[in-house]
Amino acid sequence: MKPSENLEDTIKNELNFTAGADLHDRMLDDVLNAQDKSRKAHSAAAWPNLRRQIMKSPITKLAAAVVIILAIVLSINVLDKTTPAAYALGQTVEANHTVHSLRITDFRTGEDEPKEFWLQFDEQGQIESVRASMPEWNSPSDGAKIVIWQDGKAQVWFKRKNSLLTVREQRLAEQMLGLARQVDPRPTMERLYEQEQQGKVKVEIDEPSDKAEPIAVTATYEPEGSRPGRLVVLLVDQATKLVTAMEVFQLKDDEYQQVGRTEFHDYNQAIDPRVFALEDEIPADAMRVDQTTQEVGLAQGDLSDEEVAVEVARQFFTALIAEDYAAAGQLFEGIPADKMREMFGSIKVLRIISIGPAGPHPNPETKGLVVPCTVEGGQRGDGQIGEWKLDRLGVRQVYNQPGRWTIFGGI
Amino acid sequence: MIEDEVLKWKFKAGSQEALRRIYEKYLNRLLSFAMALLDDAGAAEDVVHDVFVSFAESAETFKLRGNLRSYLTTCVLNRARDTMRANQRRPVRLDASESIVSDKERPDQAILYSERAQRLNRAIAQLPDEQRLVIVLRLKADMKFREIAKLLNVSINTIQGRYRYGLDKVRSVLNGEVEK
Repeated sequence: MKPSENLEDTIKNELNFTAGADLHDRMLDDVLNAQDKSRKAHSAAAWPNLRRQIMKSPITKLAAAVVIILAIVLSINVLDKTTPAAYALGQTVEANHTVHSLRITDFRTGEDEPKEFWLQFDEQGQIESVRASMPEWNSPSDGAKIVIWQDGKAQVWFKRKNSLLTVREQRLAEQMLGLARQVDPRPTMERLYEQEQQGKVKVEIDEPSDKAEPIAVTATYEPEGSRPGRLVVLLVDQATKLVTAMEVFQLKDDEYQQVGRTEFHDYNQAIDPRVFALEDEIPADAMRVDQTTQEVGLAQGDLSDEEVAVEVARQFFTALIAEDYAAAGQLFEGIPADKMREMFGSIKVLRIISIGPAGPHPNPETKGLVVPCTVEGGQRGDGQIGEWKLDRLGVRQVYNQPGRWTIFGGI
Repeated sequence: MIEDEVLKWKFKAGSQEALRRIYEKYLNRLLSFAMALLDDAGAAEDVVHDVFVSFAESAETFKLRGNLRSYLTTCVLNRARDTMRANQRRPVRLDASESIVSDKERPDQAILYSERAQRLNRAIAQLPDEQRLVIVLRLKADMKFREIAKLLNVSINTIQGRYRYGLDKVRSVLNGEVEK
């Protein structure tokens, strides 16, 4: 070692080891897999009953049974076109009018965990209450979530984010009800019945003599119809005439490939009111944002959309600089001050270096704008100052508060 | 740094991208730290691997408070000390662990380092554990003397003494090599 060298600097700067590409990639794979497994494990732990149910449920047997039934149906129709069928789709359409509640599990091919729904209808048959459990695969960015729709109000419980959002908004209501209608067997059967009447769907029915066995209905969509190549197999309970399961196939490369399976349970069994109340399920430390009672964001006034978006971002960082977490939270989806302090309390934002102009958000579904920002700040007690560039800070109108704008992500 | 606060928040929210960024940002720093403590490439790799895997699994319970760099460094330190205790002997010397020698024909393999780093590490590895620990924490984990004293539960004077004696010995070893 040369006498002029500073040993401390030498150790600091030159005692370095670097992971080779192989080690880097191998370790990164393990790390990302661990994160993925952990997420799935937590998701599974939260649904022990459901998982038990899934494990017990003879899905594979049922799937095999459907295939066998389908084969029987096809062979029967090939061999004996005159086989009479006492059952007709109209009977299920009629029976559906008696339904006031049910539970639905909706499986997607290739995914273990189903979506799960509880639907309750009012006396006119309109959807009154919905509970939807959406697995992570349905929306990886949100993670697993539960949505409750009741009394014109939606509550969304983001499990991974440990946060509960309450909103009352028409667009969200339409989305929610649209989601419920997709799995509601009543409109599905009505559409199928109409399409059969119009000759757009060819319906074949196998009604076993054993009354304990379900009726198998095979609906093949005509090539010129709305869903060419689609084949739907319905299992119908012989006693109630209600659908108990539906499998959907799509013709691809001359073969029908399964797309999904929906099971319908607990018709007209009273649903415990707690199913539509989230409070008991949510941890005490969860972040709660109630946009039905709280004014969120910034009023647009005479500003253009682009101008108000920039102003929201500017006021947000100004509030962080002043450590006014209540004001910052109000501009960020209405996040409570204590949660904002938890999220941003260990950093110190010193100044805004640049902000704007606003541009379209890369994800048009957000209906928002992006405001590029650069701020200066550092870790409290660290002494080091750095620049923080944000190129995805999103600002959009508050869902149920017209004329008000809020930050919704990208920080 | 503010970036770390954002990364922690995103990581807790389940972001794979955030975890990847944390990994990229701290992997080599933690490897260097573990190597300086253990002087054994296989053990250092295991320690850093286990720390990152545990961290990845901790998203649901991970607390947002605190400095991410310090947190990961402390995790590596704790595991490295466990390894050292478990071995109940001095860590394997660099010159005894052929497996870590970077293969110039295969630069994608294992842990890479310069000849200079190898010499420094070998010199530091010859220190008693308590001196080596102080030097590595001070110079490779950027910890202050009072933080090290608190961590190791000894007085700040003792820590400064160990640091001085340790540096003198490293210098002496390195000068001795030159003289040879």
